[in-house]
Amino acid sequence: MSQPPKEPTPPNGADPGLGGPEAPVAAIPRPVLPRTLPAVHRDDLDGHLIVVEGTDGSGRSTQIALLTEWLESQGFAVQTMGLRRSALIAKDIDALLARNVVTRYTLALMYATDFYDQLETRIIPALRSGMVVLADRYFYTLIVRAVVRGINREYAHGIYELALRPDLTFFLNVRPEVTFLREFKKEPTISYWEAGRDMHLSDDLYESFIHYQTLVRKEFVHLARRHNFVTFNGEGSIRAVNADLRRRIADHLGIRSVRYQPSQSLVHLWR
Amino acid sequence: MTSTRSLEATAEPNTEPAAEKAKRPTHNYPGALVVVEGIDGSGKSTQLHLLQRWLEVGGYRTHFTEWNSSPLVATATKRGKRRRSLTPVTFSLIHAADFADRYERQILPLLRSGHLVLADRYIYTAYARDGARGCPAAWLRNLYRFATSPDIIFYFRAPLEIAIERILSGRPRLKYYEAGADLGLSLDRVESFRMFQGMILERYDQLVEPEGFVLMDGKLPVQKLQQQMREIVSLRINLNRFTTR
Repeated sequence: MSQPPKEPTPPNGADPGLGGPEAPVAAIPRPVLPRTLPAVHRDDLDGHLIVVEGTDGSGRSTQIALLTEWLESQGFAVQTMGLRRSALIAKDIDALLARNVVTRYTLALMYATDFYDQLETRIIPALRSGMVVLADRYFYTLIVRAVVRGINREYAHGIYELALRPDLTFFLNVRPEVTFLREFKKEPTISYWEAGRDMHLSDDLYESFIHYQTLVRKEFVHLARRHNFVTFNGEGSIRAVNADLRRRIADHLGIRSVRYQPSQSLVHLWR
Repeated sequence: MTSTRSLEATAEPNTEPAAEKAKRPTHNYPGALVVVEGIDGSGKSTQLHLLQRWLEVGGYRTHFTEWNSSPLVATATKRGKRRRSLTPVTFSLIHAADFADRYERQILPLLRSGHLVLADRYIYTAYARDGARGCPAAWLRNLYRFATSPDIIFYFRAPLEIAIERILSGRPRLKYYEAGADLGLSLDRVESFRMFQGMILERYDQLVEPEGFVLMDGKLPVQKLQQQMREIVSLRINLNRFTTR
């Protein structure tokens, strides 16, 4: 778990432990810095950060929904995160994507803002209180998207140097030809961004999708090796992939039984 | 070391010493970039405005750009500031996004098309201010790696008390982030502002030598400073390239 070195205590001398019982109540300014990055240390956080990565249509969201139910049934408090879910900037990114006037560095940095806002305002507090955080994509996706658009790899990694490293990162590996069919089932037209149309790879949208998602997948495979992801073949059935995920997570969290049958509300996913 | 590179030199193979080259890429664009830096109240904006007037009246292709002004990112920045939900990291990133938008859609195309670009604050503002907020220096440098080195960086250095007096006399109330109130330095906003500006000033001072800032004495009268500024610009930049007449 590589973490940035401890930053010096800020000039107000605030204690990262947020004052003991004898700390005077009034007249002490809110010690903001030590509660946020880069002064946060993984060791102070009791929770678990579990990431599921994969291309569009790899089955991430379905798996996260099932895992959430399973973990909660096991008595774990679960918090989820994903892309474009920050209170700070998610709406603005949506608006920009719709208008597609945005350039690549700006978009990369807005996604970074969205990511760190969630990390600092929701995820770190959740981990501090011992929750299991399930991330439907993490900064790896953002690195991948930046890199396939020609942004320097070291630059992209550097942005996320302050972010917490997950305890477990899963990569659901699926061929673009398969994800295309899944995505097309969900939505009968292929979206601008999923086809990577901003990259002008082809005017044939199927070809554009396959080409773009192939680049993305290749970069993921590269990251998976570099960051010790647990790679699963995401082309198997939802049930089978979920069993694989549960086994690894149970192992990590010390859960003895991996038996699970989804509730009525999720049973439609169990096919 | 301040680089004495003239615009002509950029057309030739890079003749700068290796150490200088490793530091930051220098641009080969037909345009030129002049930036002003300094703490609030240092007089930099006034001076850049006067420089712009001089250049425009002289008939040069000039464009002015300002920190924190991209319309694409403005709503998010405003929201974050209003809710006071920005951390040092997200404060820094949102300003980097703002800068990137202006850089990619404005500054870079202008430099490529042969404009004289005048920037009120540049990446050094982030180095100094976000650094004072606790963001690691190496992380900040990486964030702005895509931005080219300016041709001239004017650093307006005024004593802290003078700068603060200028700001306080013209403003009814200091804003939360402006005063560095998020750092919890002091409950008194003016005191917080003073401490925060002091921390930023310290960071700026550390950048003078490695970044090759041209030090401008903020205590000098406005006209005198402006005269110096114009002399340096004429000396370092071949203005004939930008003439529209």
